[in-house]
Amino acid sequence: MRTFPHPAKLPFPLLLSVWAVLCATTWLAPAAHASDTPRAVIAKAVVTEESEEQVRLVRSLAGDTDPQIRDLLTAWKEGGISILEAPDGLPGLTEGQKIAVTLAQDKDADDKQGVLRLDSSEPIKDAEGKPLRLPAADIEAAETDAALRQAMKGVLDAFALAASAPATRLKVVAEYGLSQDLARLEALQARQAVETHPRVQRALREAISQIHLKHDDAEKRTAAARDLGQMGSISSRDALKTLLEETPDTPENSALRAEATKALVAIGTHMRWANAYGTAFRGLSTGSILLVVAIGLAITFGLMGVINMAHGELIAVGAYTAYLVQHVFGDGLTLSPFGKTLSLPGLHTTGWIRDCYFIAAIPLSFLAAALVGIALERGIIRFLYRRPLESLLATWGVSLVLQQLFRLVFGANNVQVDSPSWLSGNWTVFDVLFGWNRIFVICFAVLIIAGAWAVLNKTSLGLLIRAVMQNRSMAACMGVRTERVNMLTFALGSGLAGLAGAFLSQIGNVGPGLGQDYIVDAFMTVVVGGVGNLLGTVLSALGIGLIDQSLQQILLSPVLGKILVLGGIILFLQWRPAGLFVTKSRSLEG
Amino acid sequence: MSQRPFILAAEGVNKSFAGFQAIRDLNFYMDPGELRTVIGPNGAGKTTFLDLITGRAKPDTGTIRFGADHELTGLNEYEIYRLGIGRKFQTPTVYADHTVFENLVMSLEGSRGVWASLFAKIHNTQRDRIQEILETIHLGDKAQWKAGALAHGQKQWLEIGMLLAQNAQLLLVDEPAAGMTDEETHRTGELLLSLAGKHSIIVIEHDMVFIRQIAAGRRVTVLHQGSVLCEGPVDQVQNNEKVIEVYLGRKHAHP
Amino acid sequence: MNRTLTKVEATVVTLLAVLVLVVMPLLNSAGVVSNFTINLWGKYLCYAVLALSVDLLWGYTGLLSLGQALFFSLGGYMFGMYLMLLSGPLGAYAKSGQNPAGLPDFMVFLGHTFLPWFWRPFYSPGFSALMVVALPGLVALLFGFLAFRARIKGVYFSILTQALTYGAALMFFRNDLVMGGNNGFTDFHRIMGFDIRSAATQRGLFIATGVLLLGVYLLGRWLTATKFGLVQRAVRDSETRVLFSGYAAANYKLFVFTLCAIIAGLGGALYVPQVGIINPSEMTAEKSLEAVVWVAVGGRGTLLGPIVGAIGINALKSWATRAMPDLWPLILGGLFIVIVLLLPKGLVGIPGQIRALWVSRRKRDEDPGQESIEPADADQPATPA
Repeated sequence: MRTFPHPAKLPFPLLLSVWAVLCATTWLAPAAHASDTPRAVIAKAVVTEESEEQVRLVRSLAGDTDPQIRDLLTAWKEGGISILEAPDGLPGLTEGQKIAVTLAQDKDADDKQGVLRLDSSEPIKDAEGKPLRLPAADIEAAETDAALRQAMKGVLDAFALAASAPATRLKVVAEYGLSQDLARLEALQARQAVETHPRVQRALREAISQIHLKHDDAEKRTAAARDLGQMGSISSRDALKTLLEETPDTPENSALRAEATKALVAIGTHMRWANAYGTAFRGLSTGSILLVVAIGLAITFGLMGVINMAHGELIAVGAYTAYLVQHVFGDGLTLSPFGKTLSLPGLHTTGWIRDCYFIAAIPLSFLAAALVGIALERGIIRFLYRRPLESLLATWGVSLVLQQLFRLVFGANNVQVDSPSWLSGNWTVFDVLFGWNRIFVICFAVLIIAGAWAVLNKTSLGLLIRAVMQNRSMAACMGVRTERVNMLTFALGSGLAGLAGAFLSQIGNVGPGLGQDYIVDAFMTVVVGGVGNLLGTVLSALGIGLIDQSLQQILLSPVLGKILVLGGIILFLQWRPAGLFVTKSRSLEG
Repeated sequence: MSQRPFILAAEGVNKSFAGFQAIRDLNFYMDPGELRTVIGPNGAGKTTFLDLITGRAKPDTGTIRFGADHELTGLNEYEIYRLGIGRKFQTPTVYADHTVFENLVMSLEGSRGVWASLFAKIHNTQRDRIQEILETIHLGDKAQWKAGALAHGQKQWLEIGMLLAQNAQLLLVDEPAAGMTDEETHRTGELLLSLAGKHSIIVIEHDMVFIRQIAAGRRVTVLHQGSVLCEGPVDQVQNNEKVIEVYLGRKHAHP
Repeated sequence: MNRTLTKVEATVVTLLAVLVLVVMPLLNSAGVVSNFTINLWGKYLCYAVLALSVDLLWGYTGLLSLGQALFFSLGGYMFGMYLMLLSGPLGAYAKSGQNPAGLPDFMVFLGHTFLPWFWRPFYSPGFSALMVVALPGLVALLFGFLAFRARIKGVYFSILTQALTYGAALMFFRNDLVMGGNNGFTDFHRIMGFDIRSAATQRGLFIATGVLLLGVYLLGRWLTATKFGLVQRAVRDSETRVLFSGYAAANYKLFVFTLCAIIAGLGGALYVPQVGIINPSEMTAEKSLEAVVWVAVGGRGTLLGPIVGAIGINALKSWATRAMPDLWPLILGGLFIVIVLLLPKGLVGIPGQIRALWVSRRKRDEDPGQESIEPADADQPATPA
């Protein structure tokens, strides 16, 4: 048993509890008539003359999860069940005996239809054993009165409330609450008594209070308003407003009005907080995406000063690698680049192993992009270290070539990379929606940053990288093979781009233009963060993410928000031309 | 000290780069027309001091006044230049892709505005002036050479020529003798001496022969760890124990 | 500058000018040169104007602007507004009687019933022409002021102009800007009282483009020969030193950036009536970079090179996108890499490069211990050296 909001104040909840216990018992042991199927019970109820007994029979079905109940009761309500007064000579039936029947949908030329028994679904046969056929006009439809319909609705509601998936139950409960239909109170309260899922419990409490707002008892209305206010029930705002409008401002209503007003204020506050947290969370995840795509750039551009316009394509290399790995784990893949056919065998894995392809894709994406990066560095960039504008142009050429290669190998359209189904779920805490994909994004970003930080600060490679980037000639004098370090640094930055690609493949489309969608954002992030500083990139990514999401919240337009962010970045650079963190030096480049 | 306003007065100047205190509570005064030589060991803050005067770096604290009524610390490079302060860099910095003649045209005194540059004509007087400078810096036959094709010493000369063309009140000359032959060095010294009086000049140098040539009977300032260690006539400075200890002494110990 | 080279260039330019301004139009009216060719070459000439604007910035001043396609498109849009207003009453909606106000078709499609205020002055061709100059100029002036004031240079400037272009394209993609959204402007009918599709009008536009190109070329010739030109190249080679020569480098850059935005805008304005369409996909950093390829191939820091590059590469593109559409991006990208790595001075620079190679080989034979020339500092990254 769950406690009710104010059990001591009112006797009514006690009664309810008793009723609920009764219902629960019914639910636990649905077979009050052990042999009777729900179908039989309904058939019996249809022909019962006495209204009270009918109601009792229908109610006895409450809590049963047989889907037939819903269909049959609905049919009854809508006139789909008829009563047949048995004529003489039907086997197994006495003359004048009433039985519940349905009509078969096989109207013939004489307008006659077959008749099916409701309890057994069998056709009724005449004396000669042939199916009985009657004109529809000869049979009267089973009628329902108000009390019965009320009972049926209760049963149907209880049926819906008993759905096995908590998410479905939540939806039904919320819907019932919003309907503010007093007739549904019983079903909800019955469910409340047995519900074990905490979120559904909370929703039930909310829905019951919402319905109580329409209750005849003023005290109940007041209590409900207070309860909703305490819960910060956003969905009750309209109901509370209506309540205020409909309650005249008289002394006897003052308590109710005060409580409703208070509740509205509380809900408003809660909503603002929920919005703020939601925006912050979305900002954090948007920032994490930026961070993941920019972290590689923070190394190649930020640390090395190499402007690599093909960074976006390295991201795409990672994403396509994830795509290939997925197919290798599955049934293989046939590609046709340059008119030739290239088949990749599949491992035909199934079940959880197949779901884990992403784990394998992560290192492979890193590796693939790092290899492309090494080729790029050795083939082009190393000749242009002193000419950044030219490396911009040459790498843009590379970006064009790679994009076209993607198109030729994988096709011009987006390819499908499956993400685990759990990524599409979400989790609501106090009205703040936490999408699993966004949580994944944030975790991934944290991991990638931790990894990059560890490589730069805890490994000997990192030590060499930092030495070379700070003073190339000094490091060279001390015997560091700067050429090699350049190559490895660039490979690290490219590999991180590949990781970003694997990551993006899980949350969006993978196509030849994937990199282009992110390149401007990535560069902006690094520029704002200040070159040569990972922390700057982290802060700038999160900052841009938060501002972007906040602007979206205010402007209700992602595009306008984005334009404003770009404008804001230009203004920001007026204030700090070298970004958030300046690596101060006495270098004469002024 | 003179009652006339100083041509340059730096007071309480501090400047640090990422924790390294390059200039420490520096006070420096100079009279108009003076030729002042500044010496000091590596890292003493000599070039940083010139950076602070010319606006390349901004002091953290302190003031640098030019003449009677110009505070330099708030101004940027070209504004300071336009007040009449010219600089020759430590490593010769000329426009490598321009001809020697063009280098001088760009340095001639006159308007520096965009519109003026569009409709500027080189008058005959200016042409004569350039010719005169070319003779002075011994590049008369190389006027149409690309400056980048000159030898190191010639670039030094060209940059000095650019200073002459500018006709600045205050000349800041950073290691003019580096990379020059003894004969060229001597000539440079004579050129600087001939300019003293008409112009105020700060020369930064290491070459002791050169310093004795230009600083004879004049004040020399010794910088050490970003502040003035001592100041006075060259003989006096040379015999100063502290100077010998931090600078000359070391130099004598390792000739 | 090499005097003989200047003479050769003058001859080439005169010949080209006569060819474009006199011979081709005459041959076209005589029916020898097809209307298609005139139209195609008109487009090339517009691109050549764009290329010159890129070159004056990049080749002469060291500013790699990825915003030139934006300014080109803005010019095109401004003139396109005038063309759209003339075409509205002749469009498909007007024919079926659904457009009583004679609005441009896309507005009717989006449910507008009257002309937004900012469209009204564009009925006047003079105002439109003014805006062709003013809008790109003002955008460049404002952006350049902010960027140069903050001393943003080198690749940072490139990245920021890329962001500017990206932001502008996002804006023009929106329908509520009432600038045609996704589809932009198309289906033009009339221009200054003439049928825009007639051969004579297209010929006139072709000649106008030729005149514009010649004008821009001569402007460039004059500009780079003045003292301004000296400062411009000095900014490219050593911006820091320029400050110590008393020049406010930012003002010089701002001037040339604004001027080049206007030049690009003019090119775009003539591009639209000849090509018949303008939409936000023209407004991308990639398009600017494509123009940079033309300049790089032709030879940056020269004035003839960009023209040769723009026409040459686009002729190649017209052919290649038909003959081998799949390979064109590979060719373009590959061309870029090769030019940057092997031919930094472009096609025009090949003779000089060969000469230099020969000279250096001879010198090396004579004087093995040669001092290396220090690198210019203009292109160095802002990272600590």
